[in-house]
Amino acid sequence: MGPRLSAGATDSAARGIPGGRAPALEVSGLRMAFGPTVALDDVALTVERGQVHALLGENGSGKSTLIKILAGYHRPDPGGRVLVAGRALSFGNPVNAASLGCRFVHQDLGLVDTLSVAENLFLTSGFPARWGTIRWARLLRAARDDLARVGLDLDPRQPVAGLSPAVRTGLAVARALRPGAGNVALLVLDEPTATLPDDEVRQLLATVRAAAATGAGVLYVTHHLDEVFDIADVATVLRDGRVVASSAVPDLTRTRLVNQLLGSELDEAHASSQALPPPRANAVLRVHDLAAGQLRSLSLQVRAGELVGIAGLTGSGRESALAAVFGAVHPEGGDVLVDSTPLRPGHPRRAIDAGVAYLPADRKAHGGIMSLPAAANLTLPDLRALWRPPMLRLGAERVEARSWFSRLDVRPAGAVHLPLAALSGGNQQKVLLAKWLRCRPRVLLLDEPTQGVDIGAKAQIHQRIVAAADDGAAVVVSSADVDELVALCHRVVVLRGGHAVADLSGPALSVPAVNRAALAAER
Amino acid sequence: MSSRRRPSLGLDRFSGLYLWALFVAVFAIWVPHLFLTAGTVHSVAAQQAIAAIVAIAVLVPLAGGTYDLSVGATVNFATIMVTVLQSNHSWSMWPAIIATVLLCALIGAVNGLIVVVGRVNSFIATLGSASVIAAFQAITAGQAQPLPPTSTAWSALTQREVLGFQIIVFYMLAIAVVVWWGLARTPAGRYLYAVGGNAEAARLSGVRTGRWTWLALTTSATLCGVAGVFYASLSGPSLTFGGALLLPAFAAVFLGSTQLTPGHVNVWGTLIALYALATGIKGLQLVTGVQWLPDMFNGLALLSAVSFAVWRQQGRGRRRPRPARDTTDEEASGREQPGAARPQELSLNQ
Ligand SMILES: Nc1ncnc2c1ncn2[C@@H]1O[C@H](COP(=O)(O)OP(=O)(O)OP(=O)(O)O)[C@@H](O)[C@H]1O
Ligand SMILES: [Mg+2]
Repeated sequence: MGPRLSAGATDSAARGIPGGRAPALEVSGLRMAFGPTVALDDVALTVERGQVHALLGENGSGKSTLIKILAGYHRPDPGGRVLVAGRALSFGNPVNAASLGCRFVHQDLGLVDTLSVAENLFLTSGFPARWGTIRWARLLRAARDDLARVGLDLDPRQPVAGLSPAVRTGLAVARALRPGAGNVALLVLDEPTATLPDDEVRQLLATVRAAAATGAGVLYVTHHLDEVFDIADVATVLRDGRVVASSAVPDLTRTRLVNQLLGSELDEAHASSQALPPPRANAVLRVHDLAAGQLRSLSLQVRAGELVGIAGLTGSGRESALAAVFGAVHPEGGDVLVDSTPLRPGHPRRAIDAGVAYLPADRKAHGGIMSLPAAANLTLPDLRALWRPPMLRLGAERVEARSWFSRLDVRPAGAVHLPLAALSGGNQQKVLLAKWLRCRPRVLLLDEPTQGVDIGAKAQIHQRIVAAADDGAAVVVSSADVDELVALCHRVVVLRGGHAVADLSGPALSVPAVNRAALAAER
Repeated sequence: MSSRRRPSLGLDRFSGLYLWALFVAVFAIWVPHLFLTAGTVHSVAAQQAIAAIVAIAVLVPLAGGTYDLSVGATVNFATIMVTVLQSNHSWSMWPAIIATVLLCALIGAVNGLIVVVGRVNSFIATLGSASVIAAFQAITAGQAQPLPPTSTAWSALTQREVLGFQIIVFYMLAIAVVVWWGLARTPAGRYLYAVGGNAEAARLSGVRTGRWTWLALTTSATLCGVAGVFYASLSGPSLTFGGALLLPAFAAVFLGSTQLTPGHVNVWGTLIALYALATGIKGLQLVTGVQWLPDMFNGLALLSAVSFAVWRQQGRGRRRPRPARDTTDEEASGREQPGAARPQELSLNQ
């Protein structure tokens, strides 16, 4: 199936990478079932050296499962075979995967918040030490080099806890590419750009390209088709666990790729041509002079039925804005009023009772409870309707969860009783959105609402958000994806340096206008 | 679709029951005249009833990811307190019992405040309070072991026979049913498990995490008070037995979390584990008569329960949609950097 490589790839192979000319990754006959769900079915795939190979597919199509097999965390059903640079991978063995030269940047990155940047860098490869004592000077020097390699300007002694998602992603990539950790034969990235703003996506793609140029094979999972055309040599599409197409990117068009992905046409224009109903007169949410973290001052009024977007680069304060409005973090100043009643910060329960819903950007740390069943996650904020003393009505809960599953097309449809962890990333995201839509909030705060969601489901989620606004909710969406904001919102507030620098609506609202305002004059 | 209902999973989720049956079968064949008697059944049931209540006391906060290591000390304190009040201060039975249980509830409330308001790690907080409670017990008792109260009502409290069993067995079952109901069939239980799964996500979903943690620790200590009162009535006061309760209780809860609803601590799994172990110990004691068996058995059980859970998380996670307490092999992108911090226990983060 292997389409031909780019010239650069052949060069690097010729440069005498150890392991001869065997491809960086050869997968064949891979199958894996979770109970009745077949996540992967007879999957075959080849990543040549120096090649960037995009792995695409709808939510739940098996991409992450494949990656987890490569990483040694799942054992596939017998019969499959994986060769890394010509050497057989022994399944279920993370150490073996690493020693064969596989490096992973997982979606949740695997950083330890309480440790410093430098410590995180050396966590997987071991610290430079003499007689059991860590050699800090040397460690810091090496850490600076590693960070510079991916273009990160960071103090290695800084704790990871305060870093923005974009910087964290960069750090995880830097760690994966550390030369000290041995030869990199295969670099695997699982949706590294799900919450990255454009300029940081460009930075990341440059790093990935550089990694490929050294002769490593790159397996790159994404839902953003632009990136495929930007960086990939080959694109393989999974549907329901099967490879449905594998084509050289130069031979592809966007339409063909979408067809392969969905098995049908997608009316992509649909998402961006919503006829937005005009907002109603009264402001439901009023934010005055709010400051938290990098956010210095945000003032905002959102009317019932209005969809307001918040745009801004990393460091603009956008990341902490919605958490501060909701009161998830204690703001340093300012106040938030819902229907002219002030919202006390630090009391999520009261905010929810006042009709505010907040979907956090970090799905795993703040969004979902992975060990609880999907249905329990869905109903957690509001159990009143299900509590008929003395018993929680589990049957009714299941029925309700099923209906939300079908409304948001969560797959597998019957998985309401499975722990959230057993759903694919995009489907988890849908469940968590459903959890808040179910509360019929008056104020809906959405941080990266469509992260990790495939292109078909994205349009669907946008429709749901518009419908919520239509029902009279005041909606605020914060997203790194400017296209999404412009397509979805009545009005977009642009943050820069912690302040709102533009409020664009009507004809003034366009992607270039938002980008211009976000970047303007700062550097 | 339910991969949970696949028949092959039965072995997994009900392994405790099979193990229990195996023990019964082995000893029934080995020492039938000693083992297969109503007396053995009754005595195992009654002897383990206190341990079972303590295990349930451990389980409640553990569902919310909080450790209560002060259970042993609290039970012991209650035993001495209820005895001293009756024997040395001539209180009558019910006031003494009520005062004791309330005092224990107070201990739990203080534990809860230290953990919730003081934000002290529960492991440390309850380890420390256990020591303080032990000191209070010594103060209460003076130097000597108090004499047991003589009233027949006092011993009848637990020793009256119903259907051949001492009534304490039924008390224990009643407590188990109530706690099962609380954890599995009320919003409170749902919130507690949510806190145990991911406290921050639970908080942002509107769960008052502090309140439930506090309530769980208070419940735990109250149950310990009840267990202590029962112990005093059943076996008389003892200055030291409390410490020996801690490990079997944790062993039963951890083993139990591999049963029925794997990955979640649960009441019936805990009882199955506890009685399966007790049956094995009883059988071996009948055969050999040595004293060190319970220690050996319970210790090995705790170690194997936790190793089993870890092994399953790593190797066989896929056999079953594992309710991943452990965040390492969840979703899509599991955070598996080899060597990155990986919770080695059941990942019941405190
Ligand atoms: N531990 C598990 N138990 C049961 N089913 C699972 C488990 N892990 C994954 N699955 C199922 O396997 C299928 C493939 O999931 P996978 O995570 O590989 O999808 P994905 O392609 O990464 O999707 P996404 O784009 O949403 O991240 C899904 O149907 C999912 O529900
Ligand atoms: Mg995925």
